[in-house]
Amino acid sequence: MVVAGTVLLNECQKRLIIMWSYRFNFMLETFMIGFLFVGISFFVSGGRPTPEQMAPALLGYLTWFFAVFAISDMSQGIREETQTGTLEQMYMSPLPSGLLLAGRSVASLFISSAMVILIGGILMLALGIRIPVRIEGVPVFALTIVGLYGFAFFMGGATLVFKQVNALSNLLTNMLLFLNGSFLTVERMPGWLEGFARSLPSTQGIDVLRRVVLDDLSLASVWQDGSLVWLTVHTAVFLFAGWGVFLWGERVARRRGLLGQY
Amino acid sequence: MKSAIEIRSLSKTFRSRGGNDVEAVSRLDLTVEPGQVFGFLGSNGAGKTTTLKMACGLVMPTTGTVRLNGYDVGRQRGPAMRQIGAVLEGTRNVYWRMNAWQNLLYFGRIKGVSSTKLLKARAERLLRELDLWERRKDPVGEFSRGMQQKVAIAAALIADPPIVLLDEPALGLDVQASRTVQEWIIQLAKERGKTVVLTTHQLDMAESLCDRVAIMSHGRLLAHRSTGELLDLFRREFYQVRLRGVVEAEKTGAFPGFTASRENGHTVLAGEVGEELSVFDLVERARAAGMDLISVSPAEPNLEEIFVELIERAKETAGQDGGLELDAGARPAGIEIRG
Ligand SMILES: Nc1ncnc2c1ncn2[C@@H]1O[C@H](COP(=O)(O)OP(=O)(O)OP(=O)(O)O)[C@@H](O)[C@H]1O
Ligand SMILES: [Mg+2]
Repeated sequence: MVVAGTVLLNECQKRLIIMWSYRFNFMLETFMIGFLFVGISFFVSGGRPTPEQMAPALLGYLTWFFAVFAISDMSQGIREETQTGTLEQMYMSPLPSGLLLAGRSVASLFISSAMVILIGGILMLALGIRIPVRIEGVPVFALTIVGLYGFAFFMGGATLVFKQVNALSNLLTNMLLFLNGSFLTVERMPGWLEGFARSLPSTQGIDVLRRVVLDDLSLASVWQDGSLVWLTVHTAVFLFAGWGVFLWGERVARRRGLLGQY
Repeated sequence: MKSAIEIRSLSKTFRSRGGNDVEAVSRLDLTVEPGQVFGFLGSNGAGKTTTLKMACGLVMPTTGTVRLNGYDVGRQRGPAMRQIGAVLEGTRNVYWRMNAWQNLLYFGRIKGVSSTKLLKARAERLLRELDLWERRKDPVGEFSRGMQQKVAIAAALIADPPIVLLDEPALGLDVQASRTVQEWIIQLAKERGKTVVLTTHQLDMAESLCDRVAIMSHGRLLAHRSTGELLDLFRREFYQVRLRGVVEAEKTGAFPGFTASRENGHTVLAGEVGEELSVFDLVERARAAGMDLISVSPAEPNLEEIFVELIERAKETAGQDGGLELDAGARPAGIEIRG
């Protein structure tokens, strides 16, 4: 427990230090993320977005941001760290790599939360959007995030073995913005695309989150209509598959000598 | 006493899709005793880095084991990793966006040092020893190459491991920085009893630094001896012939196995004498060819010549049964040869 706490703090500290060294880029990025939301909202609503319309969109958009952060952290982060040799140093730790990676994930979640609060807060204030804080939203949000990290681990494990996955993950996170239902309703997509969109990380989470937080539905009712069940299953599958793929990636990387630069 | 590092029939074959499998390390057996400075020598691609990475648990061996102070790297990962710190070749090893101090604390915790007080004391000591204390607050990315390497070495030592692995520690360092690192390596071994394993292409450095060397070629061990013994073994057989003026390449062909170089406008031939070519023959041939002989003298062998010699022989005998065999008559028996 103490060890886990130390690892977590250590990772958070490192992330913050490194982020601080990129503070200018981060500010620009934050600004851009906020601006992108406004831009897309205008576009989607034909130039007249109302706060009521934007609330569900913002909820989806912020969740998407978590996804972007988690995925790029895992695939891009790992890719970079194989090149700098810091990943190898991490793997030379006597502590289990699972613990270290969990620490990294929590640190990344911590930072993305801070950014989401910042971006979300500014957008809500500036545009008069209201997203109520409902306690029922917490478990739904947690399930969504855990699923996202499961997916991130999946990408991370794949990046260890296939270097191209990194490029793919960029494409994927951008695609996700238009497929996870943030702006374009999943129900209105053609059948095959809807199926695909729903199987992507965050789509289902956003759907349930909206119903619980914005439409005031109880957890019981979303459980009964099956959407929460589907989210739970989805998260469990992503988590286990992601973890499995990561372990596989680690093993293959050790066998082929891919943890470092070669 | 337990060996610091014990490598038993260690092999690594990298499989490639195209079917060109690379046998990077082949049935390596090796022990390194505590407190030694041990050098891995070998041409590019000889398998040095792969061997080190297997010792660090970063590359999984195809067969064989590595034990660090008795702990099996494959089976007892946790305790085995507490025995080593490593600086790997050609990469940063540390975070350039963080400063030296932050890096040391970060890696100390990663490597399982839980007491912050202890960690800070060690970090300070390391940074002071390496002359980095004044600049501990600057991002490592802004340091010179030599300083960056020193930070990487300090990070490898932050958990105070008994064994330190350094893959080409002086690569890209200038003379001064290289010397600092070397002095420090000696200090680590002699004053703090650490076992240091390093790889290098700078043979003069290996000669002055290493108690023992292993010469590798194509994943195999050609020789594994103490540096002194290896030098002794080759001592009497190397001669230097100094000729006045520049002698054309065709003429130096009269001395098979000798390499020619220029020094102050003279030609210096260096090579080995033996049964086919005695010292007497040397002088005769030089006279017969009308060369102006200045001197013939036994050359103090250096590790570089021995290295080249062994690698050459390994090439010649490659493919022959039994692999490499040194001329037993011309040399004291007992050089460890692996085939
Ligand atoms: N991850 C890998 N995948 C495939 N082949 C590899 C890998 N790592 C090393 N090799 C191959 O294994 C052989 C040994 O490489 P290694 O890096 O161990 O040599 P080295 O002695 O360290 O060489 P150098 O002096 O250039 O650093 C080389 O032929 C190399 O191409
Ligand atoms: Mg190497």
